[in-house]
Amino acid sequence: MKALYARRESGVALVLVLTVVVVTLVNHSFLSATNISDMLVQCAPGMIIGCGLTLVIVTGEIDISIGSLMGLLAAVMGLLTTPEHLGLPVSVGVVLTLFLGTAVGLVNGFLVTVGRAPSIIVTLGMLTTLRGATELLMDGRWITGLPAKLRFLGTGSVTGVRVSLWTVALVIAAAMMLVRGTPLGQRIYAVGSNPQAARLAGLSLIRVKLFVFTLTGFLVGIATIISVPQLSTIESGIGIGLELFVVTAVMVGGASISGGKGTIIGTIFGVLLLGIVRTVLIFLNLGEHMVYWERAIQGGFILVAVVIDRFAKRRPN
Amino acid sequence: MFAKPSIQLELSTHVWELALLALPMTLIVITAGIDLSIGSTMALCAVVLGLAHEIHVPIGLSAALAILTGLAAGVLNGIFVAYVKVHPLIVTLATLSAYRGIAEGISLGRPISGFPENFAWVGQGNICGLPMPGIIFAVAVIAFSLLLERSVIGHALYAMGHNEIASRYSGLPVNRIKLLIYSLSGTISGLAAVLFVARRNTAKADIGTGMELDVITAVVLGGTSIFGGRGRIIGTLLGVLLMHETREFVSWRWNNDELISLVVGVLMIAAVLVNSVLMRRGHKA
Repeated sequence: MKALYARRESGVALVLVLTVVVVTLVNHSFLSATNISDMLVQCAPGMIIGCGLTLVIVTGEIDISIGSLMGLLAAVMGLLTTPEHLGLPVSVGVVLTLFLGTAVGLVNGFLVTVGRAPSIIVTLGMLTTLRGATELLMDGRWITGLPAKLRFLGTGSVTGVRVSLWTVALVIAAAMMLVRGTPLGQRIYAVGSNPQAARLAGLSLIRVKLFVFTLTGFLVGIATIISVPQLSTIESGIGIGLELFVVTAVMVGGASISGGKGTIIGTIFGVLLLGIVRTVLIFLNLGEHMVYWERAIQGGFILVAVVIDRFAKRRPN
Repeated sequence: MFAKPSIQLELSTHVWELALLALPMTLIVITAGIDLSIGSTMALCAVVLGLAHEIHVPIGLSAALAILTGLAAGVLNGIFVAYVKVHPLIVTLATLSAYRGIAEGISLGRPISGFPENFAWVGQGNICGLPMPGIIFAVAVIAFSLLLERSVIGHALYAMGHNEIASRYSGLPVNRIKLLIYSLSGTISGLAAVLFVARRNTAKADIGTGMELDVITAVVLGGTSIFGGRGRIIGTLLGVLLMHETREFVSWRWNNDELISLVVGVLMIAAVLVNSVLMRRGHKA
């Protein structure tokens, strides 16, 4: 029990479990296989990007350009692969999209480390820049007629499980292995919890931070290719506000904004908690007006999780 | 001619809410804090104003209610930051969702319009050719300058930004000052909401979306350090002016609204890089 209190994820895990239990008691079909699958698919992009952002936040930095980057990547992916525009093979389009995402992540990392500019400002600038670039590219159009192979990434299933769920599982497993089983993972936490000591121990802060920003850009690419083709059209507004959602989820999951603390599993809990609010409201059957309260309840959940976390920490060991 | 006074005066109508919100944000950023909830607070206050007007509350009283709502929203932020001791980024991310959510919930997302004409004057009218919101802003600038640069509290803000623990041990009422600045930020958001509704003659739960990012951009362009301890009102004024003029110029010259974000974003990254280079020079010298 003591160990549970000590875990920073306990606050969010408790709220998540309580929510699921209460909703299931009211409406048993909440935990049906289809609904679980739907909710996980909905949370997939948040979980994938969350894995990267957690590591960025653990190093004491932040990346708020992820939503705009997803918008740009969606536009580029659409323009590259649709027959109406460039009509490149889907595989080429996907690779180029991942490449662009990684490149933008690298630029963010470069500006933060070599340029020594605060990451919140750099990525705020990037948020604005990329959204502008997306709007210029899209020029108010909608991209329609996505090729079937691309749609498969968003809507298809392999052995009965959605492609996006396989991808999420793979990304989470890889991220946890990176954190727990590799020297690089340990360096990420070392850099975040005590930069001076890490530097004295001979770690390159620049390389570690470059890595986490680049990884996040790459993961935004992955999230884009498995989530955007779920819809048949691409418009320029994709990803607006995603940064707030994912940053909030990472914080709710127990990561510390000043670096050094945060876990992949905590972030996953955070994304799930915030991501299922709309479904919860629908399953509680409280009337059609309730969906308007989605954001208010999300905000309330965050405050509750934060306060629980606060008091869990104040408990003497 | 872009620089013509009449054109500038006409273009200025877009800037007042941003300019007003940048003032308390400067104070908060100087203490190494941040308030991301201002856009949502504006929406909440605007919706309160609209709903109060709908049930025939006199318009003056409705506006007062809206500003009080802003104060309450700010006080709640302040309590969480100062007394529950949660990082301001997290608190205001939470209330960013919560306040906009409450605005959406109580208005059910519909727009409210039909405000009386004498109310529109607050947002659109002028005295001797000076726009009303501009006069309100000028008064606010003087008040905030005095508070930041001529008062004990102002000094305390810089001290807190430099070293909060030392400030506590020196006996500064750190918690109360935090509560004060977040409350000010909420109140000014309420005021900005009143001006916005008066100008547009409509209140809706989606107003002020993304406003927090614009305001922070302007404050940072004005030279206030995001790490706290440094920043001035005059810098923020220049930051607001730079951002506003860039936007309006791009929109006026190329008539292309899509280009605006691109230019402002690049401008911001460039500014922060130049700043970081200059700072390093300064350290070496």
